[in-house]
Amino acid sequence: MSELLQYMITGLMIGGLYALVAVPIVLVFKATEVVSIAHGAVLAFGALFFWFFFVALGLPVWLAILLMLAGAGLLGLIIERFTLRPLIGQPLFSAFFMTVAIYMILDGIFALILKGGAVAWPAFLPTGHVYPAGVRISLSLLTTFGISLLLFGILMVFFRYTRMGLAMRATAEDHQLSQSVGISVQSIFLLVWIISAMVAAVAGIATGNVMGVSYYLPFFIMLKGLVAALFGGLDSIPGALVGGLTLGVFESVAAGYLDPLVGGSIREVAAFVFLLFILIGRPSGVFGLARIERV
Amino acid sequence: MLPCGTFSKDYGEDSAVIRTRLQWVITITALVFLFTIPLWGNDYIIGLVSYTCILIIAVLGLQITTGYCGQVSLGHAGFMAVGAYTSALLTIKLGLSFWLALPMAGITAGLSGFVFGAPALRIKGFYLALATMAAHYVIIFILMRLEITGKTAGLHPPPPEIGNFALNTNVRMSYVIISVMVLMTFLAKNLVRTKAGRAFVAIRDNDLAAKVMGINIYYYKLLAFFIGCFFAGIAGSLLGHWWLVITPEMFTIPQSLIFIGMLIIGGMGSISGVFFGVISLRLLEEAVTLFAPLLSAAIPAVGMDIAAPLAGVTFGLVIVLFLIFEPRGLVHRWQIFKVAYRFHPFSYV
Repeated sequence: MSELLQYMITGLMIGGLYALVAVPIVLVFKATEVVSIAHGAVLAFGALFFWFFFVALGLPVWLAILLMLAGAGLLGLIIERFTLRPLIGQPLFSAFFMTVAIYMILDGIFALILKGGAVAWPAFLPTGHVYPAGVRISLSLLTTFGISLLLFGILMVFFRYTRMGLAMRATAEDHQLSQSVGISVQSIFLLVWIISAMVAAVAGIATGNVMGVSYYLPFFIMLKGLVAALFGGLDSIPGALVGGLTLGVFESVAAGYLDPLVGGSIREVAAFVFLLFILIGRPSGVFGLARIERV
Repeated sequence: MLPCGTFSKDYGEDSAVIRTRLQWVITITALVFLFTIPLWGNDYIIGLVSYTCILIIAVLGLQITTGYCGQVSLGHAGFMAVGAYTSALLTIKLGLSFWLALPMAGITAGLSGFVFGAPALRIKGFYLALATMAAHYVIIFILMRLEITGKTAGLHPPPPEIGNFALNTNVRMSYVIISVMVLMTFLAKNLVRTKAGRAFVAIRDNDLAAKVMGINIYYYKLLAFFIGCFFAGIAGSLLGHWWLVITPEMFTIPQSLIFIGMLIIGGMGSISGVFFGVISLRLLEEAVTLFAPLLSAAIPAVGMDIAAPLAGVTFGLVIVLFLIFEPRGLVHRWQIFKVAYRFHPFSYV
């Protein structure tokens, strides 16, 4: 029993990380109706920027984080301005493939920079473990979990109570209609890409803190983020949180009980089997909005 | 747009693919050229042509599933793996001949496409695309875990045989690969002109409208998956019996993404687009592979193993440029050129 509890708590903590990774994907989808494959790579670049400013240049943490946010925002701006803006009005799948292409470019550059190796930074957040009620909890994961919850709170408030959040929700609903009530769809797109790139970069620090920054990070994290986002429903921020947490717990429990039976790495595939069944059962995710179509 | 003076005098002429004498000359010359490559080419060229032909078969399948029927599959390489492993197992464990195992591989891959395409009955768009990616992951995981598929070490399929004559060299195998490619192209070209092909296009353009028109969209979506994966299975089987080794690492998700890139560059919804896309990206890949060591030598700071990431960056850039400037692909440029050529003295169409 305590074994199960341990798996679940560990999974929950990892799940906080996955939820954080899923948020930028959900953000972009909410405003532009495009699933972004590129955010895994943007996240990895965020981590790389942080490493560059914090370790290579030796700047203080707060300055490194600020510069990293600026760098990630710039990356988001470049992606939106030069690759996705020309596609406004084109079929959504063109934009989807565009994010795939951006992922390929960024992933390639990332691999060229890291040369098949990995970078890491000295711990600046608390490390070690705490043992409440006999369950082992990694402090770095706990911090990550806290950061995720905080970001979720901020984003929920942003979408629900600010004018800009309302404008973004309107844009997601219908581009033409929102344009006709005076919302500049183009600047919404630009803004959402900048914000999502910054969120991704924060997730990048959290990820790097837990598992380091290695050349396969973009691919790995892209898959986790997509599964978490899809599970919760692509257009729901609370869905991303629930999706990430569920994915973490499911993976951890499956890995704990099934790995000895099949010889390891069930963690990699459990999520996808889970996803296939969820999608068949609830085609637009657990919290997603089922759209009714008319011809 | 046909040249001036080409009339259709009966239904057969109207529906023929090859209409003019020049088209016959070009087709026959191209076929003769293709089949004589193994006679004069060196090992590098023959290998290049064979591999390109295998990719053409795989992408033809993807063109039918994605380009014609609009069901985006991001797991196409996974179905190639199903084909490759099926024919390897049939020839190794059951001692079947390659010529029987090849269609069986196609059918098994098609049936697996059936299973993983089943979510298409309920989900569509991005959700379906990512479900197929999940399918790819599950397939590769199973192949890496099962004892019978050789786990991570993979399998060693035997070379095909005609009587006692083993097709175990690049040259001998290239004849088989090229013939199968020509056959599959013939199949694909004619398949998309049938009732099913038109139903695919209707579903792609608007599935609800297609349903209203009386098209059984579930049946045709599954059929599109079956056919696409059948092609992938054939391609995978050929690859296995040519390279004589298959491992799960040969069939990756980035490979599936590159297939989609080939479709975009060639042009969606066109059989000749497959040729444009696959050949141009293959040539690009070869160019990058040749260029990468030169770059490493010129700028030592970039390191040695840069071919793969550099290829990724180049492919990505090319796809970005195509999506912005020519979303209809190279085949569209080719059609514009053809029309301009046929109307030469006049500038209008």
